[in-house]
Amino acid sequence: MNSQLLAQSAVQAPHIEYGQLAPMLIVFGLAIAGVLVEAFVPRRARSAVHAPLTLVGLAAAFVATVLQAGTHHVAAEGAVGVDGPTLFIQGTIIALAFVSSLLIAERRPDTSAFVSDAASVPGTQEERESLVAGDVQTEVYPLTMFAVGGMLLFPAANDLLTMFVALEVLSLPLYVLCGLARRRRLLSQEAAVKYFLLGAFSSAFFLYGIAMVYGFAGSIRLSEIALAVSHSGGNETLLLLGLALLGMGLLFKLGAVPFHSWKPDVYQGAPTPITALMGSCTVVAAFGALLRVLYVGFGGMQWDWRPFMWGIAILTMVIGAIVAITQADVKRMLAYSSIAHAGFVLTGVIASSSQGLSSTLFYLVAYGFTTVGAFAIVTLVRDAAGEANHLSRWAGLGRRSPLVAGIFAFFLLAFAGIPLTSGFTGKFAVFAAAVAGGATPLVIVGVLSSAVAAFFYVRVIVVMFFSDPNPDGPTVAAPSLLTGAAVAVGVAVTLVLGVLPQPALDLAANAAAGLFVR
Amino acid sequence: MTPADVVFLFLGAVTLGSAVLVVTTRQLVHAALWLVVTFGALAASYLLLTAEFVAWVQVLIYVGAVVVLLLFGIMLTRAPIGRSEGLDSANRPVAIAVAAATAALLVTVVVAGFREAYVELGDPPAGTSGQMGASIFRTWVLPFEVLSLLLLAALIGAIVLSRREIQPPGESSDERPTERPTGPGRG
Repeated sequence: MNSQLLAQSAVQAPHIEYGQLAPMLIVFGLAIAGVLVEAFVPRRARSAVHAPLTLVGLAAAFVATVLQAGTHHVAAEGAVGVDGPTLFIQGTIIALAFVSSLLIAERRPDTSAFVSDAASVPGTQEERESLVAGDVQTEVYPLTMFAVGGMLLFPAANDLLTMFVALEVLSLPLYVLCGLARRRRLLSQEAAVKYFLLGAFSSAFFLYGIAMVYGFAGSIRLSEIALAVSHSGGNETLLLLGLALLGMGLLFKLGAVPFHSWKPDVYQGAPTPITALMGSCTVVAAFGALLRVLYVGFGGMQWDWRPFMWGIAILTMVIGAIVAITQADVKRMLAYSSIAHAGFVLTGVIASSSQGLSSTLFYLVAYGFTTVGAFAIVTLVRDAAGEANHLSRWAGLGRRSPLVAGIFAFFLLAFAGIPLTSGFTGKFAVFAAAVAGGATPLVIVGVLSSAVAAFFYVRVIVVMFFSDPNPDGPTVAAPSLLTGAAVAVGVAVTLVLGVLPQPALDLAANAAAGLFVR
Repeated sequence: MTPADVVFLFLGAVTLGSAVLVVTTRQLVHAALWLVVTFGALAASYLLLTAEFVAWVQVLIYVGAVVVLLLFGIMLTRAPIGRSEGLDSANRPVAIAVAAATAALLVTVVVAGFREAYVELGDPPAGTSGQMGASIFRTWVLPFEVLSLLLLAALIGAIVLSRREIQPPGESSDERPTERPTGPGRG
C-alpha cells in the first residue's frame, strides 16, 4: 500500500542535461562559492581567495563551453537552446569576463577601483576611516559572477520567460556594481540610480511585450511563436505591439538610439573595470538575445521588423558618431563610441542570413577585446584624485609614456576600423553581409559615420602625441601583472584578428552555419 | 448571459470603482483600504476564471503583504492620518491623460486581439494548484531555479549597499590608524 501511494504521488522529474548547462552552472556555482568566501574567510584574506577562484572557475567554464562544440539541442525542458551561435557567444562572454576579472582583481590599495565601504556616506569621517584602513568591498566578485551567469543564460534562453529571468539576473548585480566606485562616489551612485530606474522601465516594457506575444501566439516558446507567426492570418495587432515592446527591452540593453541615454552617464560613473565588463560582456549577451529573438521567433516576419531596425541602425550609427565628437571625457567618449559600434553590429543583424550571423559574432569578439583593453588603459592614467578621465589631462601623454599612449592609440585605430586591426576586419565582415543582404544604403551610412567616428578617435591621438604635456598632468601607474595581462590580451587579440583573421572568421562561420536551434 | 458573466461584470465594476476611489479619496489610510477592495475583487475574478492558485497568491501577497506594508509605512513615517488637502499633485491633469491613454491602448489591443476568443476552461480546470505546481517544477524548472539566484543577488546587493561594518569592541583602536580612535557616526 505504501508503494502504491508512492507511485501515485511520484512526480515525473524534469529532464535536465547538466553537461550542456555546465558553463552556466559553473559560473553560478562560482557566485555561490564567492558568497561562502565572504561568509567564512577573514577580511584580509578575501581578495586573495576570490581572485584565483574566479579566474580558475571562469577558465573551467570556458573549457566546458568548448567541450560542447557541435551540440545542437534544446535542453532543460525546452528552456535553453544549446547550439553553435550560442556556444560561440557564451565562450566570448566567458573570455571577456575573464579579462575584465583581471581588472576587477587589481587590488593595490591606491589603485583599486572599488569602494571601501559602500554603506558609508561620501565625504564623512566614516568613509575616510575605511579608506585609511585599506578596506575594499569584496562582494564585487560574487556580484560579478551573478551578472556573468545571467549573461550566459540570456542569449541561450529558448523561451521569453527564461530570457526575462536571465535579463534580471544580469541587470540587478550590474546596477549595484555601478554604484561602487572608489573615487567620485556621488557620480557613481547617480549612475547606479539612473541605470536602475531606466533599466526597470525597460524590463517592464520587455515583460509587457512577452504578455502581448503570448496573447497572439498562445505560447512563449520561441519555436511556437515562429509557428504562430508563419500561420498567422489577419489580425496582428498583438504581435506587432508585442514585438515592438520586446525590441525596446533588448535595444535598451545594447544601448541603441533612442534607448541610449543611460549609456554615457553609466559608463562614466561606474568603476572602470565594471565599465569594461558592461562595454564588452553585456553588449555581447544583449546582441545574442536579440539575434535569437529576431532569427528564431520572428524570422517569419522580417519584412515587418527590418524597416524599423534599419531606422534604428542608422540613428544609432549617426548619433553615436556625431555626439562622440563633442565629448571631453574619455569614458563618455568610449560610451558614445560603443553606441556607434552597436549600430555597426546592427547592420550585420539586419542581414538576417548565416553570413550576417557569423559576421556579427566576429564583430562582437573583435569589439569586446578592444574595449576591455581600452578601459584597462584608462585605469592606468591617474593623478592624485584617481583616474584622470578628462581629455585635456591626457595632453602630451605620448611624450611621457609612449608605450601606454601608443597602445591606446592602437585601440583607437581599431575602433576607427583602420586596416591591420580587428576593427577593420569586423566592419568589413558586417558591411559585406549587409550588402549581400540587400542593405546597401545602410552600408553607405555606416561607412560615412565610420569616417565621422575616425575623426574623434584621431583627435585623441593628436592630443596625446602632438600637444605639450601639462606640468601637473597625470602619471601613468606602472601596470601590475593583472592589468598588464588584460592590456596584453586586448592588444594581442586586436592585432591577430586584424592581421590573421581567417581562423576566427572560419570559427564564427562554422558556429553560425547551423543557425539557432528551434 | 450566464450567471458567471454577471458575477464577472459585477466584480469588474467593483474593481474599477474602488480603484478610482483609491486615487480620489482625501485620506491616505482610506486609499490603502480601498486598495484592499481592489485587490480582493481582482482575486475573486481570478477565482471565477478557475485560477485558484493565482487568486490565493494575490490575496496573500498583495492584500496580505503589500497593503500591510503600505499601512506600516504610513504609520511609521507619521504621515498625516486624517483628511489632508495636500495630496493632489500639480501634475494631476498630465497623470490623468497618461492613465487614460494607457487604458485606451490596452482596451483597444485586448478587444482587437481577443474579441472572438473563447477559452475552454477544461476539466480539471487549468488553474489548479496541482497543475500549476507540475508546470513550475517541470516545464519551467530552470527559470524558477534561476529566479532564486536573482533573489540571492538582490539580497547581496542590498547588504553591500546598506550594511555598516560592525567592529568588535577593542579591535578598532589598534587596527585602524586614524587620528581619532573612535569616529562618530559609526554604529
